[in-house]
Amino acid sequence: MKVSLSWIGEFVDLDGVAPERVAELLSLHTAEVEGLEWFGEAIADVVVGEVVACGPHPGADKLSLTRVEFGAGEAVPVVCGAPNVRRGLKVAFAPVGSRLPGGIKIKKARLRGETSCGMICSERELELSDEHQGILELDPAAPVGARLVDYLGLLDPVLELDNKSLTHRPDLWGHYGFARELAAILGRELRPLPLAPPWPEADGEGVPIELEDRAGCPLYLGLRIDLDAAPRPSPGWLRRRLLAVGQRPLDDVVDLTNYILLETGQPTHAFDLDRLQGPEIRVRPAAQGELLTTLDGVERQLVAEDLVIADAGRAVALAGVMGGENSEVGPETRRLLLESASFDPVRVRRTAQRHGLRSEASARFEKSLDPALAPEALRRFASLLARVRPEARVLGPPAVAGAAAAPAIRLELEPERAARLLGLPLGREEVAAPLRALGFAVADEGSGPLQVGVPSWRATKDVTLPIDLVEEVGRMAGYHRIRPEALLAPVEPPWTDPVRLLGRRLADRLAGAWQGAETQGYSFLDRRWAERLGLPEESFARLANPVQDRVDLVRRDPVPTLLEQAAGNVRERPRGLLFELAKGYEADRADADGLPVERRWLGAVLWQRPGVRPDGPESAFGAARSLTEDLLRTAVAPAGAEPGHGPSWAHPARALAWRGEPDRLLGWSASLDPRLAGELDLDGFDTAVVLLDLAALAELGAGRLPAFRPPARVPAIKVDVALALPEEVSYAEVEAALRRAGGKLLESLTLFDLFAGGSLPPGQRSLAFHAVLRAPDRTLGEKDERRFLERAAQAAQELGGALRA
Amino acid sequence: MRDQLERLRREGLAALAGAEDEAALRREEVRLLGRQGELTALLKQVGALPAAERPEAGRLANAVKAELAAALDERRRALAAARLERDLSGAGFDPTLPGPPPPAGTLHPITRVQRRLEDLFTAMGFVVADGPEVELEENNFDALNIPADHPAREAQDTIWVRSERGVCMRTHTSPVQVRALRRFGVPLRVVAPGRVFRQETQDASHDHTFHQMEGLVVDRGVGVGHMLHAMNTLLAGVFGRDLETRLRPGFFPFVEPGFELDARCPFCSDGCRVCKGSTWVELMPGGLVHPNVLRACGVDPEEYSGYAFGLGLSRLAMLCYGIDDIRWLLGGDLRFLEQFPA
Ligand SMILES: [Zn+2]
Repeated sequence: MKVSLSWIGEFVDLDGVAPERVAELLSLHTAEVEGLEWFGEAIADVVVGEVVACGPHPGADKLSLTRVEFGAGEAVPVVCGAPNVRRGLKVAFAPVGSRLPGGIKIKKARLRGETSCGMICSERELELSDEHQGILELDPAAPVGARLVDYLGLLDPVLELDNKSLTHRPDLWGHYGFARELAAILGRELRPLPLAPPWPEADGEGVPIELEDRAGCPLYLGLRIDLDAAPRPSPGWLRRRLLAVGQRPLDDVVDLTNYILLETGQPTHAFDLDRLQGPEIRVRPAAQGELLTTLDGVERQLVAEDLVIADAGRAVALAGVMGGENSEVGPETRRLLLESASFDPVRVRRTAQRHGLRSEASARFEKSLDPALAPEALRRFASLLARVRPEARVLGPPAVAGAAAAPAIRLELEPERAARLLGLPLGREEVAAPLRALGFAVADEGSGPLQVGVPSWRATKDVTLPIDLVEEVGRMAGYHRIRPEALLAPVEPPWTDPVRLLGRRLADRLAGAWQGAETQGYSFLDRRWAERLGLPEESFARLANPVQDRVDLVRRDPVPTLLEQAAGNVRERPRGLLFELAKGYEADRADADGLPVERRWLGAVLWQRPGVRPDGPESAFGAARSLTEDLLRTAVAPAGAEPGHGPSWAHPARALAWRGEPDRLLGWSASLDPRLAGELDLDGFDTAVVLLDLAALAELGAGRLPAFRPPARVPAIKVDVALALPEEVSYAEVEAALRRAGGKLLESLTLFDLFAGGSLPPGQRSLAFHAVLRAPDRTLGEKDERRFLERAAQAAQELGGALRA
Repeated sequence: MRDQLERLRREGLAALAGAEDEAALRREEVRLLGRQGELTALLKQVGALPAAERPEAGRLANAVKAELAAALDERRRALAAARLERDLSGAGFDPTLPGPPPPAGTLHPITRVQRRLEDLFTAMGFVVADGPEVELEENNFDALNIPADHPAREAQDTIWVRSERGVCMRTHTSPVQVRALRRFGVPLRVVAPGRVFRQETQDASHDHTFHQMEGLVVDRGVGVGHMLHAMNTLLAGVFGRDLETRLRPGFFPFVEPGFELDARCPFCSDGCRVCKGSTWVELMPGGLVHPNVLRACGVDPEEYSGYAFGLGLSRLAMLCYGIDDIRWLLGGDLRFLEQFPA
């Protein structure tokens, strides 16, 4: 919202307070000022000039050749196209080198062969109005050479306020509210709003008003006005006020309603009284499907929750939002019905929202305006009308239907408590004074709580509790006076979340040892993922109003987004490891609150160009396996892997399920299902995924420490053993057989070579191991080695193969 | 024989002196003095000489052997010295050549900022609490004193989850205030980092998913001064030095009075892009916990008071690292992620 300081200056003396300081004071005490600009600055170069000579242009019928004097040496030649230019006229003159709104810079020019050194401006060129039929004619007494902005008093500091910081303050939606704040901040007097004297009691001659929906409209006033003549442009002072705060002037009727809205915050609406059927006013819910063309020219189909102002025949306005075309004030208008009312804030907001029609009026009504403003606005209108159009007659008093008032709120405020909460050393009077300055009624009996009456303009929703008064006291006393104060509290270690801490350790491990990149993915998935994962949509939490159409599933785990991110990276990075600590939601189960069950996951995706084998140490599958083993070791979670069925993203034959002791599923490591890889444009890559349940891992590892075993003092012997076996025999079977062969003496067994083909018969493969044998109490010898090899040979035979030499 | 020895001596001394490096020297040593070498071959012939000539020839041969060994030794030392000198001179060593590619692991910028804050607050005795991202309307709005008809609840601001009861994607981390107070009771010090969701069209500075951190302290006698202290400490922890701060009025339904904390721009002294020329940066909303919130969490507002503040973790991460577009954060682009070494 824009606030003009010259306007505010009508109600509170701002002398000696620089506009920058006013902006700062409001920011620190009231609401956020986002900017300060000087209205009129864009035409600050324009000066008062006098046309000292004027004749026809020799080369063009419609142009005149003039000489303009503007207080800087000799008069200059100026070509002008306006019909009203004439000798002796005082004009707004933009000399060579000056700037006009819209970034226009005036240069010396030749127009149809004649030199022109400057421009005589119309109101539109000065952005003072849309008037462009002719140049602006100034008073003959205007001093030549003076800046136009100074002569017309146009320069006006205008503050831009952040509307979001005003939403809770219905009293700040007009200039008068800011004047009240500034008067309290500066300790200066607040002048009353000039109002027409109150009317005597109703004489019953007004337009009949019927309120059919008292909840939607508890109070409605209609004031009849005889304009005596058609609407006409407003006087300059009024137009400039409106322009300064960004409101386009139209005619005096509309301008006055806008002026009152911007000054008091209360919207009013002028109907052409002679276009109202009846004439009478009915405030009623719209009929479902009822049509109304609003002032912006849009035909709107209404619903029953919308409230309308209707006459005897039809809706004539959307209550609190916008008037209708059928009763609009125009050049034919001679008599007005001026509406000022109180509407239900929520109904107004819903209607404005439903019809995409947020107007200056609706923006204010939805803030819960003080109902006392409704009659006041009519008196303010009458007072201004007398100034703007003295011949007009107010056919008062207004017709009134209904009644409304802000609740009378009395609060008790303990000054000591206020001071303590604010952390400010405030005495009783220092608590009471700022409240009084803001219009609160404060009674102080010298001890005990202050008795505080809330003024009507703060009582509609803003101030309802003693704590609300604490805020008023604090912001007026000045938040800058509050000193930071360390909290005194018992020294004890806070509770820590084991899952969070484990997540940290595993992330460090993945980034440190595995060179992974931690990522974060969006929580929302395209609906296609349900199908891709072979899960019913109901197993996902689903959004009612997704940001993006069809992207309405909440992810159950991080795998889908990890895969999408991997696919997005392969062009630049043909090899990579991404991991994420993420929450997932499972809607096929519910927690104690009835919410989808939350699970905390660690997910990782690894991709690379395919190698010779899809398994084994070089493969993504193998890396995923080792990585998982490493993470489990980091978590001190005793667990093992078994080949089995993974989740639906997993390759059906290349998945490991990881289980902790006792039987608890911790997660999976697996190759990506090639069909899914194809859909995600990951085919051409060897991709593997790890998904671990962090909570299960944390639980399993809780309280466990790595177990220490003293290193042996006796030397070991190292034996290499190679076996040729049928391909169907898995590594696990071979390893188990060799471990049995080694018995207690076998300390470690490491696969170091795996191949097929070559000298081997088809269908066979060779596995070569380093074995380390050691006894705790003696040095082993050749006999022990031979015995191990014999047993290994026997094991190989039992598996359908043989030891290789 | 004498001539042969003399020839060997001359030729050998020349060869040793001319050996270019230690390998060449070693080859000459083997050729001249080795078991199969030329001197050994001559010594074998000494035995075939007439007896009278033998002692003389033997002496001569030994003298040649000694002379060659000495020359060998000298040459070896000279070569070693030359090698050391060359080594010390740095010749042939290019210190600008690269090493192997360094390990590449990285942590997400939000994680980095979040951990720093978690550690800071844990050190001050705060619990780091957690709450669900899919949250009850009750916790996200009702218990936080946000009226039933408040615009924030509407579909244009809040992302709702299809459900028989009111369930939404939490719009702030504030519902963790409610959960933490109910779980841990009072007195309580807690921070809660996490992701939050809003109906927001994505652009460089807006995303529908972003990160916040909530702070809450409830105890007897807690006031605004305590809040200011916590906020200042937090900023000093993040930016590594004390920043001048100021409180302004702000409005949030779950606090009263409500504040905005501005800090002197950490990036300039006379106005820049971040502070839009004002030298102040709006960093943290906060306030005293509204009595209605305390009551909704089963805490007596007559006895206890508290403060709460919020912090935009995404925004803070962007400020700290100069990230120009919020969409990098959840985009998963390795070229972005790789810039934040673990
Ligand atoms: Zn700056």
